[in-house]
Amino acid sequence: MMAEKNYGGGVINTLAATLLKNTMVEGVLAYTEGLDRADLVPCFITKPEEAEKISTASYYPYSLSRLLRDYGEEGKKIGLVVRSCDARGAIELIKRNQFKREDLFLIGIECYGTVKSSKAGNQKEEFRITAEGMEAGGKKVEMSEENLSPNCQRCEYPVPFMADLSLKIEAHATQVFACTEKGEKLAKLAGIDFEKGAPKTPKREKALERQKEEFEKLRKMSPEQRLDYWFRQFDKCIKCYGCKDACPVCYCKDCYLGSNRLMVKGGEIPPDKMFHLIRLFHIADSCLNCGQCEAACPAEIPISLLYHALYHDLSALFHYESGVHEDEIPPLGMITEEELTKGGVDLA
Amino acid sequence: MSEKQDSKTPHSALPTPHSDGFEPLIIGFLCNWCSYAGADLAGVSRLQYPPNVRVVRVMCSARVSPIYILKALTGGLDGVLVGGCHPGECHYMKGNYYARRRMLLAKQLIEHVGIEPERLHLEWISASEGPKFAETIQNFTEEIKKLGPNPLRKR
Repeated sequence: MMAEKNYGGGVINTLAATLLKNTMVEGVLAYTEGLDRADLVPCFITKPEEAEKISTASYYPYSLSRLLRDYGEEGKKIGLVVRSCDARGAIELIKRNQFKREDLFLIGIECYGTVKSSKAGNQKEEFRITAEGMEAGGKKVEMSEENLSPNCQRCEYPVPFMADLSLKIEAHATQVFACTEKGEKLAKLAGIDFEKGAPKTPKREKALERQKEEFEKLRKMSPEQRLDYWFRQFDKCIKCYGCKDACPVCYCKDCYLGSNRLMVKGGEIPPDKMFHLIRLFHIADSCLNCGQCEAACPAEIPISLLYHALYHDLSALFHYESGVHEDEIPPLGMITEEELTKGGVDLA
Repeated sequence: MSEKQDSKTPHSALPTPHSDGFEPLIIGFLCNWCSYAGADLAGVSRLQYPPNVRVVRVMCSARVSPIYILKALTGGLDGVLVGGCHPGECHYMKGNYYARRRMLLAKQLIEHVGIEPERLHLEWISASEGPKFAETIQNFTEEIKKLGPNPLRKR
């Protein structure tokens, strides 16, 4: 039941094995097959031979940057096989001093969307979504975009240009782009052809349109309707903390949302609306639209939509993009030189 | 924190209604060095302004987290006013700049959730601006009266 070996020419597996053979990292965090092809689970590979089991199929995976929190230690070097959302999650953690950029080796893979395994249909063949369309077992298949996870439909960053390497994986070949010097070094060591510099891709048009569509729906509602809509959704909450546990950006060991910790009373289901509003405020400017919160929610609250919609507006207001540059400090933590000279209660 | 803490505003805290019936309840977070002193000056000068605001003194407007604003609004208060020093005059140098950014974020946040962003107001009031304080309260109270009671009062 192993992934079709050497999909894309086995480049990913070679790169991971090279990292481990040359002890550039202590281990590589990647996805592998769990129960079957469609069940992608994380794994921590420490031996070069194990690199064979890395799978890059387009099923909805658990977020690796969330796992980083458990594997990270001072000075421990870790490699990751990441999609753009995971890579951006890792960058956000770096900004919050949870890791150093030198300690992380990000091997990025281009991702044009993922599907929940239940919606992928034929699971005998590995399902992949590429820029051109959808394919199973190397052949094109017809499947509607609606089957993609809601956050993937809105994702405008298919290419992980913020990683060390960016791989465009196709059926029998993989194009490798070295985005940083570390990436170049690795590709040379592994003996793989690469192109220098991150691929210059514009944001995904389809995703931007989808964003417009969905955010417009929210904007069109009157305040009463919107309030009613969201508070009814929050009434479904059973306070499982799934959203907070799954979020890559929620790194606090001692969460503000803990029971009886000032704002949220313990033992109350559904919890006080402050539970959601506090998390919304804490994440607001840094939401990656990875969709893990929505995937984790047992009550199926479309929470990722609210967070992404807010992040979208804040991103425009503060000219800030979350998870793209590790030097870009989150908006609430910084003041620009210009602002220091400006009076008035508005920024613009 | 008391276990019996109730997040709803008790009815007895509201001012006596006038003929139109709705009297807003507004909370004002005023910075100790400028806005609170300005409010004090308004009082000493016997300036008249609506009694709807309840003042909470904070050391700097930067102390006001959007979480307090959310707690106030979900608790049923009709308006939140945040008063700070003018840009460049903050007692702690840059606090009010951070506050400005935070309040902008808070306005976006409450709008996305479905609360009118006009219920949150940020104003720079210095210690010598007693009349400005009275005017701010007057204008804000009128605006909140127009918006009507907070829909979350019922929830």
